[in-house]
Formats: sequence, C-alpha cells, structure tokens
Amino acid sequence: MAETESRLDELKGFAEDALKTAMQAGAEWCDVSCGRTADTSVDVENGSIKSVDLTSNRAFVVRAFVGGAQGVSSATGFAAEDLAAGARDAVAMARAAQPDPDFRSLPEPAALEEVDGLFDERIVAMTPAEAVEMAVRNIEGAREVDGDVIISGGVSLDATESAFASSTGIRLDKRSTSMEAAFFCIVRRGDDSGSFYEFDMGRMFEDVQPEVCGRIATEQALRFLGARKAATKPMSMVLGPLASFSFLRSLASSTNAESIQRRRSFMVGRLDTTVASPLVSITDDGLIPRGIFSGRADGEGAARKRVTLFENGVFTAMLHNAYTAGKADAPNTGHGGRTGGIRPTNLAVSLGEITAEEIIADTEEGIYINMGSVTPDAASGDISASVDFGFKIENGKLAYPVINTMVSGDIFEFLGNIDAISSDYREEPGNKLPTIRIRNVQVSGSQ
Amino acid sequence: MAMADRKDVARALMDRAAALGVTFADLRVIRGESTRAQVQDERADRLAHDVSMGAGLRVLVDEAWGFAGTDEIRPAALEDALDKAVAMARASTDHVADKGSVATVKPIEAVERVEAKIDPRSVDIGEKMDLLLRLEKAALDDRGDRIVNSIVVYADGVGEELLVNTMGTCIVRETMRCAVSCLFVASDGKIFQRAGEAYANRAGFEVAKELDPEATTIRIARIADVQLGAKRPPAGNFPVVFHPSVTGLLMHEALGHNAEADAVWAGESILVGRLGDQIASDKVTVYDDPTYPHSYGSYQYDAEGVPGQKRVIIENGVLRNYLHSLETADKFGVSPNGAARAQGFLHRPIVRMSNTYMAPGKDPLEDIFSGIDRGVYLKDGSWGYVFVDKGQFVCHATQAQMIEHGKPGEPLRDVSVSGMMLETLMDVEAIADDFEMDKPGMCGKNGQGAPVNCGGPHVRVKRLVVGGV
Repeated sequence: MAETESRLDELKGFAEDALKTAMQAGAEWCDVSCGRTADTSVDVENGSIKSVDLTSNRAFVVRAFVGGAQGVSSATGFAAEDLAAGARDAVAMARAAQPDPDFRSLPEPAALEEVDGLFDERIVAMTPAEAVEMAVRNIEGAREVDGDVIISGGVSLDATESAFASSTGIRLDKRSTSMEAAFFCIVRRGDDSGSFYEFDMGRMFEDVQPEVCGRIATEQALRFLGARKAATKPMSMVLGPLASFSFLRSLASSTNAESIQRRRSFMVGRLDTTVASPLVSITDDGLIPRGIFSGRADGEGAARKRVTLFENGVFTAMLHNAYTAGKADAPNTGHGGRTGGIRPTNLAVSLGEITAEEIIADTEEGIYINMGSVTPDAASGDISASVDFGFKIENGKLAYPVINTMVSGDIFEFLGNIDAISSDYREEPGNKLPTIRIRNVQVSGSQ
Repeated sequence: MAMADRKDVARALMDRAAALGVTFADLRVIRGESTRAQVQDERADRLAHDVSMGAGLRVLVDEAWGFAGTDEIRPAALEDALDKAVAMARASTDHVADKGSVATVKPIEAVERVEAKIDPRSVDIGEKMDLLLRLEKAALDDRGDRIVNSIVVYADGVGEELLVNTMGTCIVRETMRCAVSCLFVASDGKIFQRAGEAYANRAGFEVAKELDPEATTIRIARIADVQLGAKRPPAGNFPVVFHPSVTGLLMHEALGHNAEADAVWAGESILVGRLGDQIASDKVTVYDDPTYPHSYGSYQYDAEGVPGQKRVIIENGVLRNYLHSLETADKFGVSPNGAARAQGFLHRPIVRMSNTYMAPGKDPLEDIFSGIDRGVYLKDGSWGYVFVDKGQFVCHATQAQMIEHGKPGEPLRDVSVSGMMLETLMDVEAIADDFEMDKPGMCGKNGQGAPVNCGGPHVRVKRLVVGGV
C-alpha cells in the first residue's frame, strides 16, 4: 500500500509541476493528467494458449488554452524533464492555433459523488498463472460442449493509477481496475459452420464470471448451424440484449451536444420533441457503483451528472462537456473526454412489462438479432446493417438462423416503431440490457 | 540517443536471452512522434503533439510465447522486461497445445529509410494550419451555405525502430506517414448528409502540400451536397458494380483477412485447405504488396525483420498464397513472406495485410455497366468487416447510384451490401481496365491498428444483397 501511495504521490507531483510550468509559459487555462497502466493478457488461439503478455507504461497529457485555442501535448514513456517540455509545447501550440471565442472555461472544482466498486485489489494481485487457468477453463468448457470447437479469445486484467490537476483548482487521483474475458467459438459440420462471441467484464472480481464464456459461446454457436437467408420484405425486428446495447449506445451518442451544435447530427432541432415511441425512457448514469463506464468525474475533471436523455419518447437533454456547456450557457453534465469529445456512460432503460420470451412469442413474423451493430449513420440517421447473428421468427418461435441478411430504415422510423421493451434483461455492471421489438423494418435477403 | 547507438545493448540482451534458454527472442525499441492539426468551421483551433518511446520484448520458451511491453528502455529495464517475458511464457508452458515455433531465416543487418521530399518535422505548424484552411475554404466557397459543418485534419507520424532477434537480425527502420482527411456535412435544413475522405501515404509533408482542392475537398463537399437529393437504395438482390475503392475494401475485408495464415492455421478461415483451388472467377488476380511505392500500407521490413514482398493471393481465380509471419511460415512449412506487423511497443507482431488490391482486367469501363437492366453502383467504400469462419462480409459505401438500362443514373444514399466471399468471387462477371489504390486507413485486428491501403478496378458482380428500403 505504501508503494502504491508513493507512486500516486509521484504522479500527483508530475501533474502539479507540469501545470505550474504551463501556466508560467502563458497558458490561460490548463489541465494535466498523468497515469500509469499495467495490463496482463492471456491470448487464446486455435484452442491453445497463444501468448501471455505483460505491459506497463506511464503517460501524460497536458492541455493548454490561449484565447480559447487548444494545444495538447502527450507522451507515453517519459522522464520528469519531458513533462516540463511537454507543458511548454502545449502552450506553444495553443498560441499558434486560432482563438476560439466559444470557449468559456474549464470546469471549476465541485463536490464529487463517491462511486464505490471501481478498484479491486484482488484483480491487481492476480498472477499471470491464475489468468492462464481462467483461459484454460474456457477452452475446457467449450470442448465439453463440442469436442472440435475452434476457440479464440482471451482473459485480460487491467490496473490504472492516475492523477489530474487543472488551473481552476481541481485535484483528483484515482485507482481503477477492470477484468474481461471474451471468446469467439466456431463449430463446423461439413461445409456448414456456426459461430458466436461471448464476453463478461467488470471492475470488481465478483462481477465477472471469467470461466464460462467459452462454454456459452459454443452452445450459442451450435444454434447457428444450418443458416439461410430470410425473405426480402418488411417485418418486425427483435433486438436481443447485446444488439439492443449497441443500438441504445448509438442513440445515446447522438445526444452529444457538440455534434448538435456543429450541425452534423440527425438530432439537430429535435430537443424537446418526440423522437421515439412513448415506451422509450433512457437515463445516462455514470455514478452507478461498479458500473463499467462509471467514475466520479469526466476526463476534464467535471463532476458526473445523471441525465435523462429521453423520457416517454421525448428527447429531453443533451450530453455536454466544458466546451459545449460554455457555448450553450448550459450546465456541464460531466461527459467530456480527456482532450475533447463527449461520451455516454452507463445507460438505464425503462423496462416493460412482458419478458423477452413473451415478446418473441407475440411476434408472428420477424428477425431476431442476438448480436450486431444496428446503428444509424451519425448525420443522416439512415440504417443499413447486416444481421450478423440472428434468427428468423415464425409464428412466435425462433425458426432458423439467418445468413447474408440485412435490415434497413431510418432512425426515427425505428424509434417510433418500438412497441415492446422487455421486463427481463442481461446485466453488465451498471447497465441493464433489455430486449426490444421494432415493428415494420425492411429486411433484405433472398429474392 | 539514436537507435543505431542502441544496437550493442540490444544485442547483449539477445545474448542474455539465449543464455536463459529461450528458443527465440526479439526486441523492438521504438520512438515515435506525431503532430495533429484540426480545422473546423473555418478555424484552426486544435493542435496536438505526441511522443512515445518504449520497447517490446518477445520470447519463445519451451514452445510457449511470452511478451513484455514497457516504456522504459534503460538497459536494466530491458533486462527486467526480458525476465518478465520469460516468466510470462513459463506461466503457460503446461497449457500450450498448439506449440509455438518460428521459421529459421538468414539474419539481416539493414537500415530502412523512407524516401520523403519534405520531413514533416521541418514544417512549421503555421504552414500546416494554413494549408488546411485553404483546402477547407476552397470547398466552402464552392458549395456555400449547403455545407453546415466541415472538418479538415492534418496528421503526420515519424518514428524510428530498432529490431534485433536471436537469429542475428539487426534492423533500424524509419517510419514516416502523412495524412489529410476531410469531412463535410451538407444540409437543406431538413436532412443531413456527410461525405469524407482521407489522403495518406508513406511519405513526407509533400502528401499534404501537393493536394489539389478540386480533386479533394471540393470533390467531397460536392458529394455531400449531391447526397441531399439522393434517394434511399432499394432492398433485395441486385447486380452490383464496385467503384475501385469498394473493390479494394472487398479484397481487404472479404478476402485478405481470410488469407491471413494465423486464421487459416487456427481453422477459422474459410480458405483452410484451399491452396491451389479455383476459388474465384478466372478473371480475378489479387495481390497484397508492402513494396508498392509510397503507399500507406508499405514497408521495407516487417516487424520480425523479414523483407516485405509482393504476394499473389489469387492468380487467375486460383488461391496461391497465405500471408505469413515467422511462426505461421514454420507451421505451414513455407518461407516467411514478411506479413508480421505490430502497432507499437506494447503489441506483439501478428499477421497483417499491407496494400491489398485486385489487378485490372481487360474490359472498357463502359462495358462494365452494359447489360445491367436494374442494379446498384457502389461508390466511395467507407468501411467493412468479415466473419472469416463463414466468409460473410459487409461493405458500406457512402454514395451509390442506380444502374438502369446499362448506365449509372440517379444518386442513392449511403448503403451497405452483404455477401458470401466465395460466392461473390465466383460471381465476378467483368473487370475494368482501370485502376485506383487510394483507400488508406487503419485496419483493426486483435486490438491492434495497422496502416493499410487497398484498391483495384471497377468490377461487376452478378448479385449481392443490398440493404435498402
């Protein structure tokens, strides 16, 4: 523990020194982050341990503003003197860039809500041999389902320590961990093949079941044998938990205030209007304990806020960083990236009253998508996507797996046609992933 | 300290690795520097500079691989990294069913340099910003208020890498790449359409300086504008003509990833056991070539010190070669062909493509469209992916046109198409005598990015599934 404190103190000292150097060099605003990351990963290929990798590095980012113009200097692998040079470099670039009158300020210090469960000493203490054992149990689990399964993937353990300092007086430090297992399994029967991907991830040891992904992926892969094209016609589309996860995250990303202010988003002019079915209510909550996207503060040191993005189908709020909040004279929601940009965190979706199984049973004809990226073009809102892992629904049942089949439409048609959200869900820490049905989606497959 | 001056320390480390009983070890010490400037809506208000330095050390011990990546390159730190890599390998020795190995190759001592007219580090940041502002202004002057958001970005990366291994190879590699990318969003007040493009080479600042606004930013802004009047593409199965950018994307995604020998060895690729088979129309010949002059995916030596070489993947429809690393070459009993690449010092070398393209055919361009009563012409390929086990691929084009009565007609919005790789290669009906290879980008695999390029001629395919409405 003393060693950890000493390393954090060193990072805090680096951040403080770089901040001081940048301000002396003429920065009007500045923030600095310094971090140290250590990762262990066990890669599996061809049903065998391929390699065990251990990586570690220190990195810093200095961001300086002059007249609203931004200069960023960053480094991976550095000596103390490099930080001072980096700080001066950031200021020189901010001076060289053109002033931006829309920049108002960096975030001010504020009380931060504590978020538990983002660091687990047990993950830090795990040995590479233990990670290898976890990977081996995934291989064994997969082979118990299908002796000839082709399995690849791996187990990874990550630990980060970082310090943050800004010219407005924010001083932060944190330690965080994450653990992930992810495996892709292929089963073959002659010329036919089925495949599937399964993962589990979390910030705390007990939130991850790192030894079962191989088995689950293989069980699912078997279901995809014998796939064929679906017919070309409009029908219902049911997004399973993993498919709804990517769809809803792309929807949350569209509430990015920068994209809307810059007029490059299909959400321009839609605030406070109905954009979706009344079933759709989504809150971004980066403060959920143990959440995979949780944290007390965003990349700029601003306090994270809970934001209701959609309520009963109405687009109610945008996600902001310091720049967009200043430009709009709106509260900063604390969704800023380290050097700009805006990202959603954990999403809480209002659940429905019937189960996923009941939704499928209630669908006469449709496409069920287990996993895949059914997401809109960020500007036009057009959707044209492949059904990578899906089934044809006939008479309320998953009839057969589909291949070489696509779905398409427009984001607002899709949102307006949502007619069911399940009451049950898959849970990834901080995120409940329900099943969603969308009526009248164009499917393209066979003639 | 220059990389050449670190050779003695690196060689001593390889001697130490050999003394520790490793079968094979290699060390890559890398220093890189990059600059990025962004102009958005007529203001150059974002500049960034990044420096990275570190080492990646890989060992093969008792047929198990271990790797350590570190940002410290002092001799003592490298010795520590070696010990860690050996410990990593030993952590898995009992569980390696597919034994690790490497092909034995003749050691090479060499220096790789990039032929650049203008070192980007010698160019003032102000000149880089002015260039971006000029490129953007030309497009905005041309399109007026129809363009509601514009972003033009300049990025360069210059680096030096020392590569040594226990076979005696010692190479100092210079890397240099320059890129300009642009994105224009057009709106009529109701709908929004965007178009973008990247211009990038393994070369110096001349990549940016020689750009003609008419052929770059103005062209892209006009595409975004035209797209406002475009119709939604139709749904179903249609004859399709690929623009060279789409042909290249398809060769990279659908074919190239399947031809990576690690996927073949693992039994994942649909090309397992197909060497020597007719897998495509006999009109089709496809190469992957890291020696293509100045191209974004080019290199002289790969990340294992093997000379990059032009590889024929398909010749007149017959599958001829896979892409190999030292390990896959040993397992397949062939000579390595220089296809191992690594993103940086925190990453192990893995099998990757470089510049992947279909060779031009003999048909005049106008003949490619003739005979199609109703089809889709896919232009400006933007992204794609493949599931190698099935060969199912997706290709996305940011603009398209209907083909009616043998001619390209009304514009269509962005659209994805899906197909099965082996069927599609057999369904190639005509290949034009033109050629373009201008689709530079970053290819992702196993969490690593690698600069690549792709291209080819216009190609007609009998039918594909079009994801329209």
